[in-house]
Amino acid sequence: MRKKFSDIIIISILILLSAIFLFPLLVTISNSFMSASEILTNYTSKRLIFDVMDGISKKFINIKLLPGTLTISQYKEVLINQPSYLLLMMNSLKITVPVVIGNVLVSLLSAYGFTIWKWKYKEVVFLLYIIVMLMPLQAVLVPNFIVADKLGIKDSYLAFILPGIFSPFGTFLLRQTMKAIPYEYFEAAKMDGDNDFKILLNIIIPQMKSGLAALAMLVFIEYWNIVEQVVIFVKDYYKEPLSVFLSRISQDNISIVFAASCVYMILPFYFLIIGQKNLEKGIELSGIK
Amino acid sequence: MRKKSFDFGVLFLLPGLIGFVIFYIWPFLISLGYSFVDKPIDSVFVGFKNYLDLFKNESYLMSLKNTLIFMGICVPLNIILSLLAAVLINKVSRYKEIFMLIFLIPLVIPSGSTNFFWKSLFATDGYLNYILSLLDVSKVNWLESEVTRYVIVFIFIWKNLGYNIVLFIAGINNIPKLYYEAATVDGAGAVRSFLDITLSNLIPTFVLVTIMSLINSFKVFKEIYLLTGSYPHESIYMLQHFMNNMFYSLNYPKLTTATSILVLIIAILSQALLKYERRKSV
Repeated sequence: MRKKFSDIIIISILILLSAIFLFPLLVTISNSFMSASEILTNYTSKRLIFDVMDGISKKFINIKLLPGTLTISQYKEVLINQPSYLLLMMNSLKITVPVVIGNVLVSLLSAYGFTIWKWKYKEVVFLLYIIVMLMPLQAVLVPNFIVADKLGIKDSYLAFILPGIFSPFGTFLLRQTMKAIPYEYFEAAKMDGDNDFKILLNIIIPQMKSGLAALAMLVFIEYWNIVEQVVIFVKDYYKEPLSVFLSRISQDNISIVFAASCVYMILPFYFLIIGQKNLEKGIELSGIK
Repeated sequence: MRKKSFDFGVLFLLPGLIGFVIFYIWPFLISLGYSFVDKPIDSVFVGFKNYLDLFKNESYLMSLKNTLIFMGICVPLNIILSLLAAVLINKVSRYKEIFMLIFLIPLVIPSGSTNFFWKSLFATDGYLNYILSLLDVSKVNWLESEVTRYVIVFIFIWKNLGYNIVLFIAGINNIPKLYYEAATVDGAGAVRSFLDITLSNLIPTFVLVTIMSLINSFKVFKEIYLLTGSYPHESIYMLQHFMNNMFYSLNYPKLTTATSILVLIIAILSQALLKYERRKSV
């Protein structure tokens, strides 16, 4: 009986916490079905003429959990009346997809190399990876800028796609994951005369599916959400990804902000739902020493 | 077999290593060079002058201090809270997946998508102050005062708790059940076995969680920037603001000097972390 009781308390605490955590998401989703006029009344603190007539002297923004009337007009506006939105979404994909594919490939190869490399000082090289990995983006931006300038790619997405592909985080994560595979596997395969490509394809990749999926997801989330690099490198409005556009409409065009936010989070959300297990398992493996 | 002179597989390192050198190491060295000269073009070697100047620069010192304070609050707080949540979630095995999913959601939602919500919540005439006004409490300036730091801490925890929870749950489940049974036989209580077994076996996880929290504590800049712009209240003026602003004003000596110092700090820090891990987890 006592066990049951403590379970109920724990679940209540967790439900309360979950409610706090989900609140921003729930508001954004439910308000994406709100009409433009309702948004304007609730989400601005400017007094409208009616408010003045009603004698309201002070007005606050009112976050509403449920819209008064349901409408899909915001979605219509975003997806049909503003073709630029879909164009910008394509830009987001053009940036994110190459980084995800490139980074996962490069990281897998590097992690494999680090694992079988027997040089005495390989940990020193790896420490360099860790140091760069821990640097905040702003510290890396200058170096990025210098290289982009020297390579003449300052005005293209390549200026931040290439550093993204070679970003050391993936190597770190996958190397940790690879540590969970017993070294005997490598040696046994070598004895059988398998070459490294075969070992990688037949032995390593099947055991690291979760780790690879976890990495792909984390990189996707990060580049889908890209802001700083774009602000520095992208000069043309129509070349911007959604992430930057969205921070702007939250100032200029709040009547579609919720629907625009929702459409923008569908993909990452979808990946979380289908990939939750992988994320957990991929990270789980990397937790083991 | 082990003695075989050369492994072809080591060559797999090359593409990654070449890219890493071109896009990170080489430019970092160039930037290190810039920190010892007066300007990038027609430069004159000035020794450590830029470094001495930087340590007299008030906005730099402020941003450094704020970043350290912020990390000093966020990283431990996030670790403690996520460990607690992980222990709780682990107890309710039936709904474990659902709760983990809920706590992971903030991590995947793009910052831009919640930006408007946070603004509506924390604005001077926003929803929080509306609730306070109903309670007859005067307005709090959530985004432009000393309180702002804690608003950002809150958003940081909201976004990053889930990832740490996943790491901790994985770590806890890796501890053999046998250890706990043995402790119970020896008469250890729940608290004792938590301290002696759970915590001491989680040390590799702690190192990983600390590394991830540090990385993410730098990433929270995106939220700060979207919420409060380039020149926020001075309690959240971070190193990243300083660097961003130096970048826009094309002040290379200051910027590259600040970068070099940061590399040094992070190098010492990661060295210490890894040493600690190796010593503890033999």
